[in-house]
Amino acid sequence: MDLSGKSYKAFIDREEALKKQYSAKNAEKQHSKGKLTAHERINLLFDAGSFEEIDAFVTPASQPVEFGKVERTYGDGVIAGHGKINGRLVFAYAQDFTIMGGSLGLVHSKKITKIQEMALKMGAPIIGLMDSGGARIQEGVASLSGYASIFHNIISSSGIIPQISVIMGPAAGGAVYSPALTDFVFMVNHTSYMFVTGPNVVKEVLNEDVTSDGLGGAEVHARKSGVAHMIYDDEENTILALKKFLSYLPSNNVENPPVVADDGSINDINEKLRDIVPDDPNKAYDVKDVINQTVDRNSFFETSELFGASLVTGFGRLRGKTIGIVANQPKVLAGVLDIDSSTKGARFIRFCDAFNIPILTFEDVPGFLPGVDQEHAGIIRHGAKLLFAYSEATVPKITIILRKAYGGAFIVMNSKFLGGDFSFAWPSAEIAVMGPDGAVAILYRKELAESKNPVELKKELVKKYRDKIANPFIADESGYIDEVIDPAMTRKKVISAFNALNNKWVKVPARKHGNMPL
Amino acid sequence: MASDKLHIKKLYALSSENRKFSFSLPLKHSIRIGKRDYEVKLKADEKYGTYILWKNRKYPVEIIRSSQNKYEILFNDISYTFTVETPFSLQRMKVLKSSRSKIEQEIIKAPMPGKIIDVLVREGSTVLRGEPVVILEAMKMQNEILSPVNGTIVKVLAKPNTNVMKDDLLVEIKL
Repeated sequence: MDLSGKSYKAFIDREEALKKQYSAKNAEKQHSKGKLTAHERINLLFDAGSFEEIDAFVTPASQPVEFGKVERTYGDGVIAGHGKINGRLVFAYAQDFTIMGGSLGLVHSKKITKIQEMALKMGAPIIGLMDSGGARIQEGVASLSGYASIFHNIISSSGIIPQISVIMGPAAGGAVYSPALTDFVFMVNHTSYMFVTGPNVVKEVLNEDVTSDGLGGAEVHARKSGVAHMIYDDEENTILALKKFLSYLPSNNVENPPVVADDGSINDINEKLRDIVPDDPNKAYDVKDVINQTVDRNSFFETSELFGASLVTGFGRLRGKTIGIVANQPKVLAGVLDIDSSTKGARFIRFCDAFNIPILTFEDVPGFLPGVDQEHAGIIRHGAKLLFAYSEATVPKITIILRKAYGGAFIVMNSKFLGGDFSFAWPSAEIAVMGPDGAVAILYRKELAESKNPVELKKELVKKYRDKIANPFIADESGYIDEVIDPAMTRKKVISAFNALNNKWVKVPARKHGNMPL
Repeated sequence: MASDKLHIKKLYALSSENRKFSFSLPLKHSIRIGKRDYEVKLKADEKYGTYILWKNRKYPVEIIRSSQNKYEILFNDISYTFTVETPFSLQRMKVLKSSRSKIEQEIIKAPMPGKIIDVLVREGSTVLRGEPVVILEAMKMQNEILSPVNGTIVKVLAKPNTNVMKDDLLVEIKL
């Protein structure tokens, strides 16, 4: 081809210059840290050849005052665009650490806000792959206003399109609030950090020695702070997991979640479910076994696995249709509701509600966690979030009481009169104001004190309480639950109940917003 | 996902005991263990479910849990946990291992107030990640406290039939 035509030459030259900018040397730098380059990440995320970049040739904003060095590079340290993930339209931006440390300047932020506005207009999910040193100091307040407009866009799109952040490098200072505002945060173990103030400042101000990983590594945020919802050991698996995760979500709040073909490998009548809950009420079991035997095979995708682990949350499918699952986990802290698990559950439920994902609840909860620690930290206020979220949600809601359903926690876990659509119970269910031991101790305090053989008497009363009160039959006979079911029939019942709720419509009064106890 | 499987990919399975097996996708009927290739076939039918055919014998296999590249499978009624790694993720693992300062000790604390029912380890014994070390009764439920790491028990502070407060030290493990 003859390229002597003038305009073509300039065009080609520019393309060449852009290519050169992403040199092998820079890639090697990232690789040596165990990281991928921004382009490699984008290529892994999108279906082959489907990504279309926008604003690839923008250059950094001019500095108000000459201070420090600014490289005159194309793109201003971020790649933004759209493409297909498993055939569905998704918008994304990836910060490029090899260009000015991925720092956020004015032009950089304008690229991000542009793509955010497009995603909102098109009703498609947006993903941010973050790897940035923070605000670009040279650009001063312009860079700060850039952050502010990104935050504002996230908040405007919240509940309309799914917004997901993937932290693949540092995120410090103001930068942490962009992921914090999005629906889900993925982090890569050992190479990503998030903190409001870094270890150096912590050392200076508080004289505390801490590493980046110890202060705001993926493990910390997944286990302790709950900021990160999903963490993986390397970038490839993080991105693959993200792609799988997206397959559960609708593109926006008007659509329904995508339906996939169910291979039919789980029978609707599944006898394995009969053997999971132990006969001894003091013995724990793994509620994930119940979930895995109820949903389509291998379809359970857990969110916030390590944080507030006494409550399990995640997505799954029933005959190919996405559902959100909330389940008490008797294996962890006896399945109590504490501050972490309540807030985790509340946020998950609100996400499901915003994106038309029906909620299935498995309940086996001994109550809220007692103690000075929890009360002083505000278990009342945080527990109320879960209550609020359940009651507010208008998507189809079904509860299955597996075993314990005591007191306030019974009310909170999507009980029928809190707005739950269907309430089923297994024959092993114990529904009462409190557990047998506590109830007997209160109601028969005098008798027990006067008895010659209090241990024997207590045992007898506990048995009586269990037979007469703490069982699912009284609640069933008085209409507080809908049906006591054979565990083996769980999947069948749930599928048919969700089908019945397919066209559920709730009239919500007009208001600006409720006042959730945050 | 389907497009990933079109071209052949070399993958590794890394077991929790750090044994490495290599295989390729789409799955060929051979698995490399150490330096030798073994011929195995993965099959499924109505009667046996999924099974592995090796030397004309059937070994049932079931995926109990999977989360991205971490798998827990039941093979011949024994459960195994392993991760699937790509050449790049394996390389990354090496890079990180050399640069990270090594943590040498792990302390297990009581996650909530309760009563120690049983201590399942002794000083000097070895534990694997996910193995129960102490049984703590709290909220009228027996909770298994699991080891988060592979290591050797250096100190056991938990005693059966004693009460513990939240964050009390239970066991010290040396990696």
